[in-house]
Amino acid sequence: MRILVVGGGTAGTIVANNLSRRLTGEIRAGKVRITMLSASDRHMYQPGLLYVAFGQMTPDQLYRDQASLLEPTIEFHVDPVKQFQLDKNKVVTEGGKTHEYDILVIATGSRMVPEETPGMTEGAEFFYTEASAVKMYKKLREFKGGRVMVAVGVPHKCPIAPVEVMFSLDDFFKARGIRDKVQLKYHYPIGRLHTIENVAKWAKPEFERIGVDTETLFNIKEIDAKNKIMKSEEGTEVEYDLLIVIPAHRGMEVIERDNLGSGGWIPTDRYSLKMNGHDNVYVVGDTTNLPVSKTGSAAHFQAEAISENIASIIKVGEPVRDYDGKVYCFIEAGHDKATYAMFNYLNPPDLKPPSKPMHWFKISYNHMYWTSVRGLL
Amino acid sequence: MTTQTPTASASPFNENDLQRLVEFAQLVTSAQDAMSDDMVNRLASTMSEGISLLDRLTRNDGLTHLLREIDRPENQRFIICMSNAFTQASRELATAPPLGGGLGGLLKLISDPGVQEGLRLLAFVGSRMSTSLREVHRRGL
Repeated sequence: MRILVVGGGTAGTIVANNLSRRLTGEIRAGKVRITMLSASDRHMYQPGLLYVAFGQMTPDQLYRDQASLLEPTIEFHVDPVKQFQLDKNKVVTEGGKTHEYDILVIATGSRMVPEETPGMTEGAEFFYTEASAVKMYKKLREFKGGRVMVAVGVPHKCPIAPVEVMFSLDDFFKARGIRDKVQLKYHYPIGRLHTIENVAKWAKPEFERIGVDTETLFNIKEIDAKNKIMKSEEGTEVEYDLLIVIPAHRGMEVIERDNLGSGGWIPTDRYSLKMNGHDNVYVVGDTTNLPVSKTGSAAHFQAEAISENIASIIKVGEPVRDYDGKVYCFIEAGHDKATYAMFNYLNPPDLKPPSKPMHWFKISYNHMYWTSVRGLL
Repeated sequence: MTTQTPTASASPFNENDLQRLVEFAQLVTSAQDAMSDDMVNRLASTMSEGISLLDRLTRNDGLTHLLREIDRPENQRFIICMSNAFTQASRELATAPPLGGGLGGLLKLISDPGVQEGLRLLAFVGSRMSTSLREVHRRGL
């Protein structure tokens, strides 16, 4: 049985490691082989980018060698997929190699596309790559005061990020002693402050407490970087001195190119996590088109369900459980306090008041992440 | 018929319990105040690496086999003897004059019955190990 995992991010790495742990005997006996294809030999802890943007982490703290995170029984190649040939059960890589499989796990992730919004690359700061996070930190350090506008594109990775940015900005400018010279304003594309209703309800009084102005139904249309004006699809305009955006995201190009899913998001069964119409293809993490957050935690819980099911199919011929839509997101709420949102397909989150122990839990998780991707936690 | 009124002793709590709760809360508050993000970072990093290391060690077939073998009383005695031998050899080497070298020096060294015993022990271990290695490879383990 040849299992091919495409993508070495959080989801792909957890699936591969978890499978390797569950199928140790079968791998030793030569009955199962696990191969991973990744675009990079390094693994990035992506949630750490927000900390980089606010000077709380340095970029080198975000990386580990991918090979060091994988079980030794996993065959690992840095050679991203150029073409999926699902009808022939094989993929072709950028390096020109062909990998055949019996079971395919697609975990190619997502990417921000600020270039798709006119003026965004030149006129706004964001933090979804190492370079942009470092640049944003430098801009924040140089900022002397004025209007700081935050706006959100959709869909995007890490749904809690826009809310956390506001608390981090408040903390950052307070620490610099210029909070009274800074106007903070939050713009969100739908008719409330967050896509998750209970997060929106929770954020409203919290934003009022820290003095953040808000505007909803604001979808970024274009940015006039020269005159520092952001325009919305709804026809409104906002002047800014510093603009921070959460750019819209798409799935990876190869997914769109091979017509596996519109926008790079693959149509996926919400419970079995199988690609619609393909019984031996699983989709995990950001790559799915599921109505759940594109976060590491969703990827983690999905990866566990997938690996448990694949292992069970190999051992007894049947899967054992469904993915229930579980997501667990930490929310840094400023002043060294944090809370969390846990929810699934059926139950909305019930946010608790922020506390210091939760903040410590979050910063501890920044380190414990490496045990998660190794398939331990 | 008499009626009994509840007495203070029927309460599940007493003043001492309350005092202990206050003390516990003070302890937690003091621990929170004493901790910093840096400390939490260092602790979490050590824990994360420690757990990963422990995981690797406990799933390493060679190490678990070694641990099982070490548990045998004769192997424990062997390790004790080996530790003593290291200590004594280290002391003897520190005080022994340097060897002259050459074939003569080598002959003088191996003519010592103790050295010959040592070589025999190493030969036994080597012989058993090559047999075991052949077996492991033959069975594809």
